[in-house]
Amino acid sequence: MSQFRNIFMLSLRDYTHEWRMSGCFVLALASVLAPMMILFGLKFGIVNSMLAELIGNPANREIRSVGSGRFSEDWFRQMAARDEVAFVIPRTRALAATIQLKSDRAGRIQSTELMATGEGDPLLQRVGAVPKGFGQVILSDASARKLKVAAGDRIDGSLARQFRGKRERVHLPLEVLAVAPPEVTTRQVAFVSLPLLLASEAFKDGRAVPELDWSGEQSGDEAREYPAFRLYARSIDAVEGLVDELQAAGVNVKARIAEIRSVQSIDRNLSIIFWIIAAVGAIGFSFSLGASLWANVDRKHKELSILRLIGFQGGKIILFPVLQSLYTGLLGWLLAVLMYLLAEQSINRLLAPSLGIDQVICYLLPEHFFWALALTLGVAATAAVLGGIRASSIEPSDGLRDL
Amino acid sequence: MTPIYSLRDVVKSRVAEGAGFRLRIPKVDILPREHVALVGHSGCGKSTLLDMLALVLHPDDAACFEMRTGEGAEALDVHQLWQRKGQNRLSLLRKQYIGYVLQQGGLLPYLTVRENIELPRQLLGLPEDDTVNSISRVMGIHRQLDKLPGLLSAGERQRVAFARALAHRPKILLADEPTASLDPITARKIMGVVMELVKGLDITLIIASHDWAHVYKMDLRSLHQEAEVVEGGKIYESTFHD
Repeated sequence: MSQFRNIFMLSLRDYTHEWRMSGCFVLALASVLAPMMILFGLKFGIVNSMLAELIGNPANREIRSVGSGRFSEDWFRQMAARDEVAFVIPRTRALAATIQLKSDRAGRIQSTELMATGEGDPLLQRVGAVPKGFGQVILSDASARKLKVAAGDRIDGSLARQFRGKRERVHLPLEVLAVAPPEVTTRQVAFVSLPLLLASEAFKDGRAVPELDWSGEQSGDEAREYPAFRLYARSIDAVEGLVDELQAAGVNVKARIAEIRSVQSIDRNLSIIFWIIAAVGAIGFSFSLGASLWANVDRKHKELSILRLIGFQGGKIILFPVLQSLYTGLLGWLLAVLMYLLAEQSINRLLAPSLGIDQVICYLLPEHFFWALALTLGVAATAAVLGGIRASSIEPSDGLRDL
Repeated sequence: MTPIYSLRDVVKSRVAEGAGFRLRIPKVDILPREHVALVGHSGCGKSTLLDMLALVLHPDDAACFEMRTGEGAEALDVHQLWQRKGQNRLSLLRKQYIGYVLQQGGLLPYLTVRENIELPRQLLGLPEDDTVNSISRVMGIHRQLDKLPGLLSAGERQRVAFARALAHRPKILLADEPTASLDPITARKIMGVVMELVKGLDITLIIASHDWAHVYKMDLRSLHQEAEVVEGGKIYESTFHD
């Protein structure tokens, strides 16, 4: 036991005594490790988030019915319950889904498409608000711009119909709950709750809407059917299966199958490229670190021989270069982490604004730092053990008289 | 009196660039507290023999290579220990019974003089007493104790090397041309002190030297080297005998 403590103490003393040489090893290690970490930071930062955006872009997961069909509420319930379906909501006929919007700030009345939305709508996932009841609306960017309104403003919505030979118009005070970002849609769209869309359809069809005091014919109790739907698959990988299934059931649908295939192949190819770079980098790093530490054991040959002459056991003397390699590994890793963090901050600060993306370009998770440390120490210890075994297997008299 | 080293027909060969070298020891016995000089020119195998006696180099063959750790102690078959790869046993023997001084160097550059001298004692778990101070005073290096070896002169370094080799009170002190790189006056001074210490501590001394005159003045039993070319000029054979 005291031999272990002695060797630990001696290896540390030698390491600090030769601080210039130790510093060189540490620098050499860090200068190979840091660029690798930056490369990985970029992979996990920009490439992953770009891919996540491609994969997560709701438009790529959307399945839309084409033409007019008949979908019951039961059908919607069943679809919504399925694992591969993230969100499904009815659409009404296009004519029934139009509203006239007017704000105090813009002179013109804007004819705007009504679209039903609800909790968990992927299209509005970044808005973070859901319109409820008959008084709330989320405007698309184009619509808000035309109306010159922002979140929190109040606008007037109106619907018109020809009913029993008379032209009628009802008004509806609406609160702009939020404005959807431009990438959601370029059209003028007002996202509303499903009841509000249905109320608009009912009014235009000449039926009464008691909740809003809109008069008309009383509607019967027959089960509701919707002509169309808007559906989002859970992931892009589920889209093709759902499309095939719907088409087999006689439903005409539209989805971005071709785009999905290209996104999938980009994802696959980029991953392959990065793993190749990572493997080559890790192997190169291992060899350069291993070679320098192996050479260091050779350099220490005389001192190791002297320690054995004094009476240290050959097996325990291996610890000497192994410990020193671990010091180098630990310090080199620390320096590489510092260099990486500096680079990460600079890259994110300098490049992020010019690229106009709101997610960070370069970042690593804590476990990535840990893996870098594990790889470094693993390679360092292996190289030193191999070198040390060689050094200790040579007779102690060898190297005693090296100058 | 039982010998501390007993060697019969010990052979160690080395082949370098086609020319063979063979060291052969037909019969050498070294008694406890004896002071022996290995005398011969450079390259005659003195260091090889010392290394074998220091248990850091294995003989190729030996009819007998025994060592005793004291008078009356059981003889240890060193040749057999090497053959059985008893490295740990050998390092224990080195640690406890042997002190070795090289021609130069051999001090750990990252430890102070004091730490260098203390190291063999620490390794044996010996108590921290006045030994280091007193031996340093005798060797004349007590003012250098806190310096690193790199700051010492060649002579001072050899004094430190002797102090380290003696600090753990070994039974055997081996020295390989310890004064060869020093001027004659310094060399004589150091060897005088060492001889006093060795006599006072009942230590067996084996010293290699190419300087004959020096050896006779120190009153050592000398083992002389003889060389001949054998096996049709292919091998240069060196032997040691009284």
